[in-house]
Amino acid sequence: EEESEGETDKWGQEDKGLSPARGGRRRKKEEEEEEDEETEVSAGALQWKQGLAQKAAEAFLRQQSATPNLRKLVYGTVVQDEEDNDDEEELGGLFRVSRPEKSKRERADAMDCSRFAPDTSHDWDQEEMLASIRDCFVTGAWEGDK
Amino acid sequence: MANKGLVYDGCNFFRQRLVLSLLSGKKITIRNIRSKDDNPGLRDFEASLIRLMDKITNGTRIEINQTGTVLFFQPGLLYGGSVEHECNSQRSVGFYLEALLMLAPFMKNPLRAVLKGVTNDQMDPSVDTLKATSIPLMKKFGLDGEGLELKIVKRGMPPGGGGEVLFSCPVRRTIRPVQLTDPGKIKRIRGTAYSVRVSPQMANRIVDSARSVLNKFIPDIYIYTDHMKGANAGKSPGFGLSLVAETTQGAFLGAELVSSPQGQGDVVLPEDLGRNCAKLLLEEVYRGGCVDSANQSLSLLYMTLGQQDVSKTLLGPLSPYTIEFLRHIRDFFQIMFKMETQKQAEETQKGGDKVLMTCVGAGYTNLSKTLK
Repeated sequence: EEESEGETDKWGQEDKGLSPARGGRRRKKEEEEEEDEETEVSAGALQWKQGLAQKAAEAFLRQQSATPNLRKLVYGTVVQDEEDNDDEEELGGLFRVSRPEKSKRERADAMDCSRFAPDTSHDWDQEEMLASIRDCFVTGAWEGDK
Repeated sequence: MANKGLVYDGCNFFRQRLVLSLLSGKKITIRNIRSKDDNPGLRDFEASLIRLMDKITNGTRIEINQTGTVLFFQPGLLYGGSVEHECNSQRSVGFYLEALLMLAPFMKNPLRAVLKGVTNDQMDPSVDTLKATSIPLMKKFGLDGEGLELKIVKRGMPPGGGGEVLFSCPVRRTIRPVQLTDPGKIKRIRGTAYSVRVSPQMANRIVDSARSVLNKFIPDIYIYTDHMKGANAGKSPGFGLSLVAETTQGAFLGAELVSSPQGQGDVVLPEDLGRNCAKLLLEEVYRGGCVDSANQSLSLLYMTLGQQDVSKTLLGPLSPYTIEFLRHIRDFFQIMFKMETQKQAEETQKGGDKVLMTCVGAGYTNLSKTLK
């Protein structure tokens, strides 16, 4: 960011130099501001590009740390919402408000079905998706030893 | 009831609990079954399953409270033999068969079950898919021979049903441990496009569209068309497709899609159905492994009940149903699996990450098997 600021300064000075005669102070200021804005915008546009490698590395590490947790995912202590503090409101001290069931109870009473819904992010019309499983077929590439 | 055994909440994973209870001999109590639902308690299809479990066992004690929200289940002896059962048509025969597949090898007498009802629906694995994927899987665990058979006598589509399925399975004293670590490569794709009480042309249209997607990968595709007529066609019209990919190592990956039941849901074009089913198969290939997602729990159960030896199976990502099944296995058999994620190398194009499941079998012996 420091660098970009330095650049604006430079450009600002150049402007001053180029319009010495008529340039009222106000106008100069405006121009400067405009310039500032522009650089800010371009800096903003580029900001997401900053540290892309680092971000990718972080995402990778996150995934890495997520996978050994498979054991934890399956056998780990499941965080169960306490059933006791069901926030059932009482109306007039007699009736209870029956709320639509929460996620845990919903799962407990969900349909007993072994079907595993496909990943919706996979679009099998895309060429890349098709390419990603090419080697699963005998027509794909084989490992050297086979 | 002084001893309630293992206590669970809710009606989800109902079959897992009953099956594991029967195999382990542990009592279970399931409470709060749809207790907050407008229509509380057990549904007809669950009652039908309980009745089926009662038919194949001897001495099972079942107690259900008046509202049907609490079930106490004391398992008896797995007796087997010939049974005939009218499966409730809220769920297809696949729902009941999935439970039977898990129990059948551990019976006293070989099971020979005639199940009547809906053979193909949108929720459960169809009989076609179970036949194409589960039966070969059972063979890997040493359950082969002429006694193992799954046959569709009559096809029945929802909502009317009217189908009939014959399932017979030999009994084993012990289950063989397996090492399924290499899925191999897909060498051919087979399938069945079926149609009942609609134009037989529907099946051909399904085949053409499914082929158009799969032909990009492999030329060896054959999809049978099966059009049942008259008394064998059940009571309702419908059509569907069941696909299975077979690998060089004898792994079978299945996918299927069925038309909406008559008068319910959107109208499905056979072309769309064929194409979407082919895409589902590609998804299944992407997940990969030696066992497809629908049969994960079946293979894990056989591994658990194997001899006291190490079994390994490579699976795709674990389905939520399987994850719950693993927890239940721990509850009933105190067996925990070792799970190792296998990353796919960047340059290979073999779909998503796989999981290698390893366990030491419980050394389960089918003591009730009659010696001849």
